[in-house]
Amino acid sequence: MTETSLTVAVIDPSRVRAAILEEGLRAAGIGTVVVVADGPDLQARVAALEPDVVVVHLESPSRDILEQMSGISRQVERPVAMFVDRSDSTMMQAAVDAGISAYVVDGLKTERIKSILDIAILRFNAFARLQRELLEAKSELADRKVIDRAKGILMGRKGLSEDEAYKLLRKQAMNEKRKIIDIARAIVTAADLLG
Amino acid sequence: MRVDLGYVPLTDAAPVLAAAELDFARDEGIELVLHPEPSWATLRDRLALGYLDAAHMLAPLALATRLGLSGPQADLVAPMALNLNGNAITLSLPLWEAMAPEADNLDAVASAFGRLALARAREGRPLSIATVHPFSCHSYQLRIFAERGGIDLERTVRIVVVPPPQTVDALSRGEIDGFCVGAPWNSIAVAAGLGRIAALGCEIVPDCPEKVLAVHAGQAEALAPLVHAVTRAGIWCGDPANVGELAGLLSEKSGLGRETDLIRRSLTGHLVVDAAGTRRTDPDYLRLGADVQAPRPEHALWLARQMAASGQVSDAGQTAGAARVFYRPILHKA
Repeated sequence: MTETSLTVAVIDPSRVRAAILEEGLRAAGIGTVVVVADGPDLQARVAALEPDVVVVHLESPSRDILEQMSGISRQVERPVAMFVDRSDSTMMQAAVDAGISAYVVDGLKTERIKSILDIAILRFNAFARLQRELLEAKSELADRKVIDRAKGILMGRKGLSEDEAYKLLRKQAMNEKRKIIDIARAIVTAADLLG
Repeated sequence: MRVDLGYVPLTDAAPVLAAAELDFARDEGIELVLHPEPSWATLRDRLALGYLDAAHMLAPLALATRLGLSGPQADLVAPMALNLNGNAITLSLPLWEAMAPEADNLDAVASAFGRLALARAREGRPLSIATVHPFSCHSYQLRIFAERGGIDLERTVRIVVVPPPQTVDALSRGEIDGFCVGAPWNSIAVAAGLGRIAALGCEIVPDCPEKVLAVHAGQAEALAPLVHAVTRAGIWCGDPANVGELAGLLSEKSGLGRETDLIRRSLTGHLVVDAAGTRRTDPDYLRLGADVQAPRPEHALWLARQMAASGQVSDAGQTAGAARVFYRPILHKA
Protein backbone atom coordinates (compact mmCIF):
# COMPACT_ATOMS: atom_id res chain seq x y z
CA MET A 1 0.00 0.00 0.00
CA THR A 2 1.35 3.42 -0.85
CA GLU A 3 -0.53 6.41 0.46
CA THR A 4 2.12 9.01 -0.15
CA SER A 5 -0.45 11.71 -0.73
CA LEU A 6 -1.97 11.39 2.74
CA THR A 7 -1.17 13.46 5.81
CA VAL A 8 -1.92 11.81 9.14
CA ALA A 9 -1.80 13.62 12.50
CA VAL A 10 -1.32 11.54 15.65
CA ILE A 11 -2.46 12.83 19.05
CA ASP A 12 -1.66 10.72 22.08
CA PRO A 13 -0.88 11.64 25.70
CA SER A 14 1.73 8.85 25.63
CA ARG A 15 4.75 9.99 23.61
CA VAL A 16 6.14 6.50 23.32
CA ARG A 17 2.90 5.09 21.98
CA ALA A 18 2.61 8.00 19.53
CA ALA A 19 6.15 7.34 18.29
CA ILE A 20 5.38 3.65 17.77
CA LEU A 21 2.32 4.52 15.67
CA GLU A 22 4.22 7.19 13.77
CA GLU A 23 6.87 4.67 12.81
CA GLY A 24 4.24 2.11 11.78
CA LEU A 25 2.41 4.56 9.54
CA ARG A 26 5.65 5.70 7.92
CA ALA A 27 6.64 2.09 7.29
CA ALA A 28 3.29 1.56 5.57
CA GLY A 29 4.09 4.35 3.17
CA ILE A 30 1.95 7.18 4.52
CA GLY A 31 3.37 10.34 3.02
CA THR A 32 3.36 12.65 6.02
CA VAL A 33 2.93 11.62 9.64
CA VAL A 34 3.04 14.29 12.34
CA VAL A 35 2.73 13.73 16.09
CA VAL A 36 0.85 16.63 17.64
CA ALA A 37 1.18 17.19 21.39
CA ASP A 38 -1.90 17.77 23.54
CA GLY A 39 -2.15 21.21 25.01
CA PRO A 40 -2.51 24.87 24.15
CA ASP A 41 -3.76 25.94 20.75
CA LEU A 42 -4.20 22.39 19.50
CA GLN A 43 -6.96 23.42 17.12
CA ALA A 44 -4.73 25.92 15.32
CA ARG A 45 -1.80 23.48 15.18
CA VAL A 46 -3.94 20.70 13.72
CA ALA A 47 -5.65 23.07 11.28
CA ALA A 48 -2.26 24.30 10.05
CA LEU A 49 -1.26 20.72 9.18
CA GLU A 50 -4.35 20.20 7.03
CA PRO A 51 -4.37 16.48 7.85
CA ASP A 52 -6.53 14.01 5.97
CA VAL A 53 -6.83 11.83 9.03
CA VAL A 54 -6.31 12.53 12.73
CA VAL A 55 -5.74 9.45 14.85
CA VAL A 56 -6.33 10.31 18.49
CA HIS A 57 -6.08 8.14 21.58
CA LEU A 58 -9.27 7.87 23.61
CA GLU A 59 -7.40 9.05 26.71
CA SER A 60 -6.47 12.36 25.10
CA PRO A 61 -8.33 15.29 26.69
CA SER A 62 -8.15 17.00 23.29
CA ARG A 63 -10.87 14.94 21.66
CA ASP A 64 -13.57 17.54 22.31
CA ILE A 65 -11.40 20.13 20.56
CA LEU A 66 -11.39 17.98 17.42
CA GLU A 67 -15.16 17.72 17.58
CA GLN A 68 -15.32 21.51 17.34
CA MET A 69 -13.47 21.21 14.04
CA SER A 70 -16.26 19.15 12.55
CA GLY A 71 -18.77 20.39 10.04
CA ILE A 72 -21.19 21.53 12.72
CA SER A 73 -19.16 24.68 13.21
CA ARG A 74 -19.50 27.26 10.46
CA GLN A 75 -16.05 28.64 11.03
CA VAL A 76 -14.07 25.58 10.07
CA GLU A 77 -12.88 25.62 6.49
CA ARG A 78 -11.76 22.02 6.24
CA PRO A 79 -14.20 20.11 8.40
CA VAL A 80 -13.29 16.77 9.92
CA ALA A 81 -15.76 14.21 11.14
CA MET A 82 -15.34 11.38 13.55
CA PHE A 83 -14.87 8.22 11.55
CA VAL A 84 -17.72 5.85 12.33
CA ASP A 85 -18.21 2.89 10.05
CA ARG A 86 -21.61 1.49 10.99
CA SER A 87 -21.22 -1.35 8.51
CA ASP A 88 -18.20 -2.71 10.37
CA SER A 89 -18.95 -2.90 14.06
CA THR A 90 -16.13 -5.42 14.64
CA MET A 91 -13.54 -2.90 13.52
CA MET A 92 -15.19 -0.13 15.54
CA GLN A 93 -15.05 -2.37 18.62
CA ALA A 94 -11.42 -3.30 17.91
CA ALA A 95 -10.52 0.38 17.58
CA VAL A 96 -12.14 1.30 20.89
CA ASP A 97 -10.56 -1.73 22.60
CA ALA A 98 -7.19 -0.49 21.40
CA GLY A 99 -8.01 3.07 22.53
CA ILE A 100 -8.34 4.62 19.09
CA SER A 101 -10.58 7.20 17.57
CA ALA A 102 -10.13 8.82 14.17
CA TYR A 103 -11.29 12.04 12.59
CA VAL A 104 -11.21 12.35 8.84
CA VAL A 105 -11.76 15.11 6.32
CA ASP A 106 -14.95 15.01 4.32
CA GLY A 107 -14.85 12.79 1.30
CA LEU A 108 -11.96 10.51 2.18
CA LYS A 109 -12.73 6.94 1.09
CA THR A 110 -13.52 4.40 3.79
CA GLU A 111 -10.94 1.86 2.55
CA ARG A 112 -8.10 4.34 2.83
CA ILE A 113 -9.03 5.12 6.43
CA LYS A 114 -9.41 1.45 7.31
CA SER A 115 -5.82 0.63 6.41
CA ILE A 116 -4.64 3.43 8.71
CA LEU A 117 -6.90 2.26 11.52
CA ASP A 118 -5.69 -1.32 11.07
CA ILE A 119 -2.10 -0.19 11.57
CA ALA A 120 -3.09 1.89 14.59
CA ILE A 121 -4.96 -1.03 16.17
CA LEU A 122 -2.01 -3.40 15.65
CA ARG A 123 0.55 -0.92 16.97
CA PHE A 124 -1.47 0.16 19.99
CA ASN A 125 -2.25 -3.43 20.94
CA ALA A 126 1.43 -4.32 20.60
CA PHE A 127 2.27 -1.39 22.85
CA ALA A 128 -0.28 -2.53 25.46
CA ARG A 129 1.18 -6.05 25.34
CA LEU A 130 4.71 -4.73 25.82
CA GLN A 131 3.58 -2.66 28.78
CA ARG A 132 1.92 -5.68 30.33
CA GLU A 133 5.06 -7.75 29.87
CA LEU A 134 7.17 -5.00 31.38
CA LEU A 135 4.86 -4.89 34.38
CA GLU A 136 5.09 -8.67 34.76
CA ALA A 137 8.88 -8.55 34.48
CA LYS A 138 8.99 -5.88 37.17
CA SER A 139 6.83 -7.87 39.55
CA GLU A 140 8.91 -11.00 38.88
CA LEU A 141 12.02 -9.08 39.82
CA ALA A 142 10.34 -7.84 43.00
CA ASP A 143 9.30 -11.43 43.85
CA ARG A 144 12.87 -12.65 43.43
CA LYS A 145 14.10 -10.03 45.87
CA VAL A 146 11.60 -11.16 48.52
CA ILE A 147 12.60 -14.82 48.03
CA ASP A 148 16.28 -13.84 48.37
CA ARG A 149 15.54 -12.05 51.64
CA ALA A 150 13.57 -15.03 52.95
CA LYS A 151 16.45 -17.35 52.06
CA GLY A 152 18.85 -15.02 53.86
CA ILE A 153 16.69 -15.05 56.99
CA LEU A 154 16.51 -18.87 56.97
CA MET A 155 20.27 -19.14 56.41
CA GLY A 156 20.98 -16.82 59.33
CA ARG A 157 18.48 -18.30 61.78
CA LYS A 158 18.86 -21.99 60.97
CA GLY A 159 22.44 -22.13 59.74
CA LEU A 160 21.42 -23.44 56.32
CA SER A 161 23.18 -23.14 53.00
CA GLU A 162 21.45 -21.11 50.30
CA ASP A 163 20.42 -24.25 48.49
CA GLU A 164 19.01 -25.82 51.67
CA ALA A 165 17.12 -22.60 52.46
CA TYR A 166 15.48 -22.63 49.04
CA LYS A 167 14.59 -26.32 49.35
CA LEU A 168 12.97 -25.62 52.72
CA LEU A 169 10.91 -22.82 51.19
CA ARG A 170 9.83 -25.08 48.35
CA LYS A 171 8.94 -27.94 50.67
CA GLN A 172 6.85 -25.66 52.88
CA ALA A 173 5.07 -24.27 49.83
CA MET A 174 4.26 -27.77 48.61
CA ASN A 175 3.00 -28.84 52.04
CA GLU A 176 0.74 -25.80 52.34
CA LYS A 177 -0.25 -25.87 48.64
CA ARG A 178 0.86 -22.26 48.29
CA LYS A 179 3.34 -20.41 46.09
CA ILE A 180 6.97 -20.03 47.15
CA ILE A 181 6.59 -16.26 46.99
CA ASP A 182 3.73 -16.43 49.52
CA ILE A 183 5.82 -18.43 51.99
CA ALA A 184 8.75 -16.06 51.43
CA ARG A 185 6.54 -13.04 52.12
CA ALA A 186 5.24 -14.62 55.31
CA ILE A 187 8.80 -15.23 56.51
CA VAL A 188 9.93 -11.70 55.68
CA THR A 189 6.86 -10.19 57.38
CA ALA A 190 7.31 -12.35 60.46
CA ALA A 191 11.02 -11.48 60.64
CA ASP A 192 10.21 -7.77 60.33
CA LEU A 193 7.61 -8.01 63.11
CA LEU A 194 9.71 -10.13 65.48
CA GLY A 195 12.88 -8.17 64.79
CA MET B 1 -26.35 -6.01 39.31
CA ARG B 2 -23.15 -4.33 38.20
CA VAL B 3 -23.53 -0.95 36.48
CA ASP B 4 -20.61 0.84 34.82
CA LEU B 5 -21.20 4.58 34.83
CA GLY B 6 -19.03 7.22 33.15
CA TYR B 7 -18.71 10.83 34.26
CA VAL B 8 -16.59 13.90 33.67
CA PRO B 9 -15.15 15.39 36.88
CA LEU B 10 -17.38 18.41 37.53
CA THR B 11 -19.46 19.63 40.46
CA ASP B 12 -22.68 18.48 38.81
CA ALA B 13 -21.49 14.87 38.78
CA ALA B 14 -22.52 15.04 42.46
CA PRO B 15 -25.62 12.81 42.23
CA VAL B 16 -23.79 9.91 40.57
CA LEU B 17 -20.77 10.24 42.85
CA ALA B 18 -22.99 10.33 45.92
CA ALA B 19 -24.99 7.34 44.63
CA ALA B 20 -21.78 5.30 44.45
CA GLU B 21 -20.06 6.56 47.58
CA LEU B 22 -22.96 6.83 50.03
CA ASP B 23 -24.73 3.48 49.62
CA PHE B 24 -27.70 4.78 47.62
CA ALA B 25 -26.77 2.35 44.84
CA ARG B 26 -26.04 -0.53 47.19
CA ASP B 27 -29.44 -0.08 48.81
CA GLU B 28 -30.93 -0.79 45.36
CA GLY B 29 -28.82 -3.90 44.91
CA ILE B 30 -26.45 -2.20 42.47
CA GLU B 31 -22.70 -2.42 42.37
CA LEU B 32 -22.06 1.02 40.84
CA VAL B 33 -18.62 1.24 39.24
CA LEU B 34 -17.61 4.80 38.33
CA HIS B 35 -15.35 5.64 35.40
CA PRO B 36 -13.94 9.18 35.15
CA GLU B 37 -13.58 10.01 31.45
CA PRO B 38 -11.01 12.37 29.91
CA SER B 39 -13.41 14.01 27.43
CA TRP B 40 -17.08 14.17 26.51
CA ALA B 41 -16.29 12.51 23.18
CA THR B 42 -14.72 9.49 24.86
CA LEU B 43 -17.55 9.25 27.39
CA ARG B 44 -20.06 9.35 24.52
CA ASP B 45 -18.25 6.67 22.49
CA ARG B 46 -17.86 4.33 25.45
CA LEU B 47 -21.55 4.68 26.28
CA ALA B 48 -22.71 4.38 22.67
CA LEU B 49 -20.65 1.24 22.04
CA GLY B 50 -21.73 -0.42 25.29
CA TYR B 51 -18.52 -0.15 27.34
CA LEU B 52 -20.56 1.91 29.80
CA ASP B 53 -24.15 1.23 30.90
CA ALA B 54 -24.93 4.80 31.91
CA ALA B 55 -23.37 8.24 31.99
CA HIS B 56 -23.43 11.73 33.47
CA MET B 57 -23.83 13.54 30.19
CA LEU B 58 -24.39 16.92 28.57
CA ALA B 59 -28.10 16.88 27.65
CA PRO B 60 -27.51 18.14 24.06
CA LEU B 61 -24.71 15.64 23.46
CA ALA B 62 -26.88 12.71 24.55
CA LEU B 63 -29.66 13.93 22.26
CA ALA B 64 -27.18 14.45 19.39
CA THR B 65 -25.95 10.87 19.85
CA ARG B 66 -29.50 9.64 19.58
CA LEU B 67 -29.96 11.69 16.41
CA GLY B 68 -26.73 10.27 14.92
CA LEU B 69 -25.14 13.74 14.80
CA SER B 70 -22.24 12.99 17.11
CA GLY B 71 -20.14 9.83 17.25
CA PRO B 72 -21.56 6.33 16.87
CA GLN B 73 -25.37 6.50 16.84
CA ALA B 74 -27.11 4.97 19.85
CA ASP B 75 -30.71 5.12 21.02
CA LEU B 76 -29.98 6.95 24.24
CA VAL B 77 -32.67 8.14 26.57
CA ALA B 78 -32.59 10.40 29.62
CA PRO B 79 -34.81 8.94 32.33
CA MET B 80 -33.85 11.80 34.64
CA ALA B 81 -32.02 15.12 34.79
CA LEU B 82 -29.11 15.41 37.23
CA ASN B 83 -29.17 19.19 37.62
CA LEU B 84 -30.23 22.48 36.11
CA ASN B 85 -27.86 25.43 35.56
CA GLY B 86 -24.32 25.55 36.95
CA ASN B 87 -22.49 27.32 34.12
CA ALA B 88 -21.11 30.82 34.02
CA ILE B 89 -19.31 33.04 31.55
CA THR B 90 -15.93 34.21 32.81
CA LEU B 91 -13.98 36.86 30.92
CA SER B 92 -10.31 37.73 31.23
CA LEU B 93 -9.54 40.74 33.44
CA PRO B 94 -8.10 42.79 30.53
CA LEU B 95 -11.25 42.12 28.48
CA TRP B 96 -13.51 43.01 31.41
CA GLU B 97 -11.64 46.27 31.99
CA ALA B 98 -11.77 47.17 28.30
CA MET B 99 -15.51 46.45 28.22
CA ALA B 100 -16.15 48.68 31.24
CA PRO B 101 -19.87 47.81 31.53
CA GLU B 102 -22.05 50.57 33.00
CA ALA B 103 -23.61 48.14 35.44
CA ASP B 104 -23.36 44.53 36.62
CA ASN B 105 -26.69 43.39 35.22
CA LEU B 106 -26.92 41.00 32.29
CA ASP B 107 -28.03 43.52 29.69
CA ALA B 108 -25.31 46.02 30.52
CA VAL B 109 -22.62 43.31 30.52
CA ALA B 110 -23.88 41.69 27.30
CA SER B 111 -24.06 45.06 25.53
CA ALA B 112 -20.53 46.00 26.59
CA PHE B 113 -19.34 42.57 25.44
CA GLY B 114 -21.13 42.91 22.11
CA ARG B 115 -19.63 46.36 21.44
CA LEU B 116 -16.10 45.21 22.19
CA ALA B 117 -16.44 41.93 20.29
CA LEU B 118 -17.64 43.82 17.23
CA ALA B 119 -14.80 46.34 17.46
CA ARG B 120 -12.24 43.53 17.74
CA ALA B 121 -13.75 41.68 14.79
CA ARG B 122 -13.54 44.85 12.67
CA GLU B 123 -9.88 45.22 13.62
CA GLY B 124 -9.33 41.72 12.31
CA ARG B 125 -8.43 40.26 15.70
CA PRO B 126 -11.66 38.67 16.94
CA LEU B 127 -12.09 37.60 20.53
CA SER B 128 -11.55 33.90 21.30
CA ILE B 129 -14.19 32.44 23.57
CA ALA B 130 -14.19 28.83 24.75
CA THR B 131 -16.99 26.35 25.19
CA VAL B 132 -16.75 22.71 26.31
CA HIS B 133 -18.26 20.86 23.33
CA PRO B 134 -20.23 21.85 20.23
CA PHE B 135 -23.26 19.96 21.62
CA SER B 136 -23.48 21.68 24.98
CA CYS B 137 -25.75 24.19 26.65
CA HIS B 138 -22.56 26.20 27.20
CA SER B 139 -22.43 26.84 23.45
CA TYR B 140 -26.10 27.81 23.40
CA GLN B 141 -25.75 30.10 26.42
CA LEU B 142 -22.82 31.87 24.77
CA ARG B 143 -24.86 32.43 21.62
CA ILE B 144 -27.85 33.76 23.58
CA PHE B 145 -25.56 36.02 25.64
CA ALA B 146 -24.06 37.40 22.42
CA GLU B 147 -27.54 37.98 20.99
CA ARG B 148 -28.47 39.94 24.12
CA GLY B 149 -25.42 42.05 23.31
CA GLY B 150 -26.63 42.56 19.77
CA ILE B 151 -24.12 40.38 17.91
CA ASP B 152 -24.08 37.12 15.95
CA LEU B 153 -21.65 35.03 17.96
CA GLU B 154 -20.21 32.78 15.28
CA ARG B 155 -19.65 35.63 12.85
CA THR B 156 -18.07 37.93 15.40
CA VAL B 157 -16.14 35.75 17.81
CA ARG B 158 -13.76 32.82 17.35
CA ILE B 159 -15.36 29.92 19.20
CA VAL B 160 -12.96 27.25 20.43
CA VAL B 161 -13.33 24.20 22.61
CA VAL B 162 -11.13 24.00 25.67
CA PRO B 163 -11.48 21.10 28.14
CA PRO B 164 -12.60 22.62 31.49
CA PRO B 165 -9.41 21.71 33.41
CA GLN B 166 -7.40 23.66 30.79
CA THR B 167 -9.57 26.80 30.74
CA VAL B 168 -7.73 28.61 33.53
CA ASP B 169 -4.33 27.96 31.92
CA ALA B 170 -5.57 29.02 28.51
CA LEU B 171 -6.86 32.27 30.05
CA SER B 172 -3.55 32.93 31.78
CA ARG B 173 -1.61 32.44 28.55
CA GLY B 174 -3.95 34.79 26.71
CA GLU B 175 -5.05 32.11 24.23
CA ILE B 176 -8.67 32.77 25.05
CA ASP B 177 -10.45 35.91 26.23
CA GLY B 178 -13.14 34.10 28.12
CA PHE B 179 -15.11 30.91 28.47
CA CYS B 180 -18.40 29.37 29.44
CA VAL B 181 -17.87 26.32 31.66
CA GLY B 182 -19.49 24.58 34.59
CA ALA B 183 -18.62 24.79 38.26
CA PRO B 184 -16.12 25.05 39.79
CA TRP B 185 -13.86 26.29 36.97
CA ASN B 186 -15.25 29.84 36.94
CA SER B 187 -14.53 30.21 40.64
CA ILE B 188 -11.04 28.74 40.14
CA ALA B 189 -10.28 31.37 37.47
CA VAL B 190 -11.46 34.13 39.81
CA ALA B 191 -9.45 32.75 42.72
CA ALA B 192 -6.37 32.63 40.48
CA GLY B 193 -6.81 36.36 39.79
CA LEU B 194 -7.27 35.77 36.06
CA GLY B 195 -10.94 36.25 35.36
CA ARG B 196 -14.18 38.04 36.19
CA ILE B 197 -17.43 36.07 36.30
CA ALA B 198 -19.41 38.19 33.85
CA ALA B 199 -22.72 36.34 33.70
CA LEU B 200 -24.33 33.32 35.30
CA GLY B 201 -25.85 30.67 33.10
CA CYS B 202 -29.06 30.82 35.13
CA GLU B 203 -29.61 34.50 34.29
CA ILE B 204 -29.02 33.88 30.57
CA VAL B 205 -31.39 30.89 30.50
CA PRO B 206 -33.37 30.35 33.72
CA ASP B 207 -33.67 26.67 34.68
CA CYS B 208 -31.43 25.64 31.80
CA PRO B 209 -31.15 21.87 31.22
CA GLU B 210 -27.59 20.75 31.87
CA LYS B 211 -26.53 17.15 32.68
CA VAL B 212 -28.77 14.15 32.37
CA LEU B 213 -28.43 10.52 33.30
CA ALA B 214 -28.12 8.86 29.89
CA VAL B 215 -28.78 5.15 29.26
CA HIS B 216 -29.62 2.96 26.27
CA ALA B 217 -33.35 2.85 25.56
CA GLY B 218 -33.28 -0.95 25.53
CA GLN B 219 -31.78 -1.06 29.03
CA ALA B 220 -33.87 1.70 30.57
CA GLU B 221 -36.38 -0.63 32.24
CA ALA B 222 -33.65 -2.88 33.64
CA LEU B 223 -31.81 0.15 34.98
CA ALA B 224 -34.80 1.47 36.91
CA PRO B 225 -33.03 0.67 40.23
CA LEU B 226 -30.12 2.88 39.09
CA VAL B 227 -32.50 5.74 38.31
CA HIS B 228 -34.04 5.28 41.73
CA ALA B 229 -30.64 5.30 43.45
CA VAL B 230 -29.42 8.40 41.59
CA THR B 231 -32.76 10.13 42.28
CA ARG B 232 -32.35 9.54 46.01
CA ALA B 233 -28.69 10.58 45.86
CA GLY B 234 -29.63 13.76 43.98
CA ILE B 235 -32.19 14.67 46.63
CA TRP B 236 -29.52 14.17 49.29
CA CYS B 237 -27.16 16.42 47.29
CA GLY B 238 -29.81 19.13 47.07
CA ASP B 239 -30.33 19.26 50.84
CA PRO B 240 -28.48 22.33 52.19
CA ALA B 241 -27.72 20.36 55.37
CA ASN B 242 -25.41 18.10 53.37
CA VAL B 243 -23.38 20.76 51.55
CA GLY B 244 -20.30 20.39 53.73
CA GLU B 245 -20.15 16.62 53.39
CA LEU B 246 -20.90 16.80 49.66
CA ALA B 247 -18.17 19.39 49.01
CA GLY B 248 -15.69 17.13 50.80
CA LEU B 249 -16.83 14.10 48.83
CA LEU B 250 -16.55 15.98 45.52
CA SER B 251 -13.10 17.37 46.16
CA GLU B 252 -11.90 13.91 47.17
CA LYS B 253 -13.61 11.78 44.53
CA SER B 254 -14.13 14.00 41.53
CA GLY B 255 -10.51 14.64 40.66
CA LEU B 256 -11.08 18.31 41.44
CA GLY B 257 -8.25 18.42 43.95
CA ARG B 258 -8.49 20.31 47.17
CA GLU B 259 -10.78 23.08 46.02
CA THR B 260 -13.35 22.18 48.72
CA ASP B 261 -14.15 25.80 49.50
CA LEU B 262 -14.69 26.71 45.84
CA ILE B 263 -16.88 23.65 45.36
CA ARG B 264 -18.91 24.63 48.41
CA ARG B 265 -19.37 28.12 46.96
CA SER B 266 -20.64 26.74 43.67
CA LEU B 267 -23.03 24.38 45.50
CA THR B 268 -24.54 27.15 47.61
CA GLY B 269 -24.52 29.87 44.94
CA HIS B 270 -22.39 32.19 47.08
CA LEU B 271 -19.92 33.24 44.45
CA VAL B 272 -16.97 35.59 44.45
CA VAL B 273 -16.98 37.17 41.00
CA ASP B 274 -13.77 39.19 40.87
CA ALA B 275 -10.31 39.57 42.34
CA ALA B 276 -11.52 42.34 44.66
CA GLY B 277 -13.77 39.81 46.38
CA THR B 278 -17.11 41.14 45.11
CA ARG B 279 -19.76 38.69 46.22
CA ARG B 280 -22.81 37.58 44.37
CA THR B 281 -25.44 35.18 45.63
CA ASP B 282 -27.88 33.32 43.44
CA PRO B 283 -29.57 30.27 44.93
CA ASP B 284 -30.35 29.06 41.39
CA TYR B 285 -26.72 29.12 40.26
CA LEU B 286 -26.54 25.31 40.35
CA ARG B 287 -29.77 23.47 41.09
CA LEU B 288 -29.78 19.92 42.45
CA GLY B 289 -32.53 18.00 44.22
CA ALA B 290 -36.02 16.63 43.72
CA ASP B 291 -37.38 19.66 41.83
CA VAL B 292 -34.92 19.38 38.95
CA GLN B 293 -34.90 15.65 38.26
CA ALA B 294 -38.04 15.04 36.23
CA PRO B 295 -37.40 15.30 32.48
CA ARG B 296 -39.40 18.29 31.26
CA PRO B 297 -41.06 18.36 27.83
CA GLU B 298 -40.25 22.07 27.52
CA HIS B 299 -36.57 21.23 27.85
CA ALA B 300 -36.82 18.80 24.95
CA LEU B 301 -38.38 21.56 22.88
CA TRP B 302 -35.77 24.10 24.00
CA LEU B 303 -32.87 21.78 23.08
CA ALA B 304 -34.33 21.17 19.63
CA ARG B 305 -34.72 24.92 19.08
CA GLN B 306 -31.14 25.61 20.18
CA MET B 307 -29.75 22.93 17.90
CA ALA B 308 -31.64 24.48 15.00
CA ALA B 309 -30.59 28.02 15.94
CA SER B 310 -26.95 26.87 16.05
CA GLY B 311 -27.19 25.27 12.63
CA GLN B 312 -26.67 21.78 14.04
CA VAL B 313 -29.99 20.49 12.68
CA SER B 314 -32.10 21.83 9.85
CA ASP B 315 -35.53 20.86 11.09
CA ALA B 316 -36.41 21.98 14.61
CA GLY B 317 -39.83 20.34 14.49
CA GLN B 318 -38.49 16.89 13.63
CA THR B 319 -35.76 17.28 16.25
CA ALA B 320 -38.34 18.25 18.85
CA GLY B 321 -40.19 14.99 18.16
CA ALA B 322 -37.02 12.98 18.75
CA ALA B 323 -36.21 15.06 21.83
CA ARG B 324 -39.57 14.23 23.39
CA VAL B 325 -38.82 10.51 23.03
CA PHE B 326 -35.29 11.10 24.33
CA TYR B 327 -36.56 12.57 27.60
CA ARG B 328 -38.27 9.50 28.95
CA PRO B 329 -40.00 10.42 32.18
CA ILE B 330 -41.97 7.18 32.53
CA LEU B 331 -39.37 5.73 34.86
CA HIS B 332 -39.14 8.73 37.05
CA LYS B 333 -40.75 8.50 40.45
CA ALA B 334 -40.69 11.82 42.22
